[in-house]
Amino acid sequence: MSAIGEFIDYVTTAGNWTGPKGLLRLTVNQLLVSGIAVVVAAAIAVPAGLGFGHVRRGGLAAVSVANIGRALPSFAVLVLAFGVFSQAGRGLSIWPTAIALTLLAIPPMFTNTYTGVRGVDPRIRDAAAGVGMRRSQQLWKVEAPIALPLVMTGIRVSATQVVATATLGAWVGFQCLGTLIFEGFAQQNDGKIITGAVLVSVLTISIEVALSKLERRLSPWATTPSGGPVDEPPDPTLASPFHPGRPA
Amino acid sequence: MHKGALPGGEAMTKTMKSTTLLIVALLAALGLIASACSSDDTADAGTTQGPQIILGAQDFGESAILAEIYSQALADAGYDTRIQTLGGFRDISMGAFASGEINFAPEYVASLLEFLNDNAGTASGNLSTTLAELQTELEPLGLEALEPAPGVDTNAFVVTAETSERLGITKLSDLANLDSPIKLGGPADCETNPFCIPGLRSVYDVDLSGSFVGLDSGVVATALGNGEIDMAVLFSTDGRIASENWVLLEDDQNLLAADNIVPVVTAELIDAYGEAMAKVVNAVSQKLTTPVLIELNRQFDVDKQSARDIAAAWLADNPIG
Repeated sequence: MSAIGEFIDYVTTAGNWTGPKGLLRLTVNQLLVSGIAVVVAAAIAVPAGLGFGHVRRGGLAAVSVANIGRALPSFAVLVLAFGVFSQAGRGLSIWPTAIALTLLAIPPMFTNTYTGVRGVDPRIRDAAAGVGMRRSQQLWKVEAPIALPLVMTGIRVSATQVVATATLGAWVGFQCLGTLIFEGFAQQNDGKIITGAVLVSVLTISIEVALSKLERRLSPWATTPSGGPVDEPPDPTLASPFHPGRPA
Repeated sequence: MHKGALPGGEAMTKTMKSTTLLIVALLAALGLIASACSSDDTADAGTTQGPQIILGAQDFGESAILAEIYSQALADAGYDTRIQTLGGFRDISMGAFASGEINFAPEYVASLLEFLNDNAGTASGNLSTTLAELQTELEPLGLEALEPAPGVDTNAFVVTAETSERLGITKLSDLANLDSPIKLGGPADCETNPFCIPGLRSVYDVDLSGSFVGLDSGVVATALGNGEIDMAVLFSTDGRIASENWVLLEDDQNLLAADNIVPVVTAELIDAYGEAMAKVVNAVSQKLTTPVLIELNRQFDVDKQSARDIAAAWLADNPIG
């Protein structure tokens, strides 16, 4: 049978969707571990990015540190995390995968948040100070809303990477969509491999599209003429698309 | 104008000079390496005339060590030998035989048979029948298996000493007496491999499919050591079995295949060197028992010694002949 035939065969077999290792359970697990990683990473990276961006100091060093998470291969982090958690008898759990993914998720969120706040037009900051806003008000009422599109982009980029990379969890015994690929290779079962690959792709693209929509909904002023989200930090000289009075 | 042009010209000459130097240096280095290799290979007095013996080593420690041992033993006996490193898959090593890139490879009786007969499932725990079938498969390829070693590298079901004592298990048939199935961890092919979960079910009447977790081969031992799984599927010659004092459950009802180490050589090599070479190789194989392999693998995996040094030290302690 052709590989495509095996794939169709696999996904149309009802028994493959249910049970503890069924496709539904594996998809839920893939989303669960990704969700934990994105939320934890956002809780760390966004406040840190806002802070460093606001004080406009130490950012480069912080970005460099955050980028270590990018440079480290996720698989190496995963195996190390497995070893550490395993010593506490918790290796065969969601946590090694969640930790490895969190490290992967932090850099784009931190870098984007920092760049977004840091890149706010100095004239706007001056104006905010000029009308008597306190430092915290400047951050929350002016800088954060202007940075929001970039923050959202960081979260979207992180989430997409995380959902795709969660696949690796299978290699340390975490049952997720990667399990299909991991087992499919070992068992020479093409239907399993392709099912895993297709479901991971579909899930990743869905997350990407959903977060893009959310991004546009939250910051409609930041869309490009074609309607797409702004991926690059805006040129400070072009920061005027900000319409006073729209956000906040 | 002139002033500006001159440094540029100088820089150009310098670049050319350094390029030439670099080439000369590279050539010299290559020459050194080449001469070092050839002096290495032909150092022994009274080199036997005939084709060079090229041993294929796959990309895992045991294969590298075995290739070194056979190579060094043959070199000591006056043969011209060389090791060719290959990837980790049998299609590569068998292809290398076909193309003449190698003419000698340490192999495994049952696994090689199953590779050559497209997993027909005819390999069994019986060494002599499995070996006979292997010879039949090798012959049309112009290959021949020499005498297999007593050492076997196959799936091994391993528990910690503590688990063995607590549950009172030392052999695979003991698993049937347990109240609840113990947690098994191993490579993901275990669920379908006839020498893993399906075999345990048919031969020992133990179904561990519900309590199995597939793991990357690099973390199986970690999981066992930390008690996250009760039983691990490792290779029977894994050096960590010795270093961690783990218990290898005895295969008392012959589930596992006869994956004895076996040197496979081309018929051309046999024709050229005949019994004299086979005698040297068989004398080495005879001494390669499973405990010996475990110890050699331990030196490689745990002590991080090189395959060449491990082989040299072992041959010094176990002279052939």
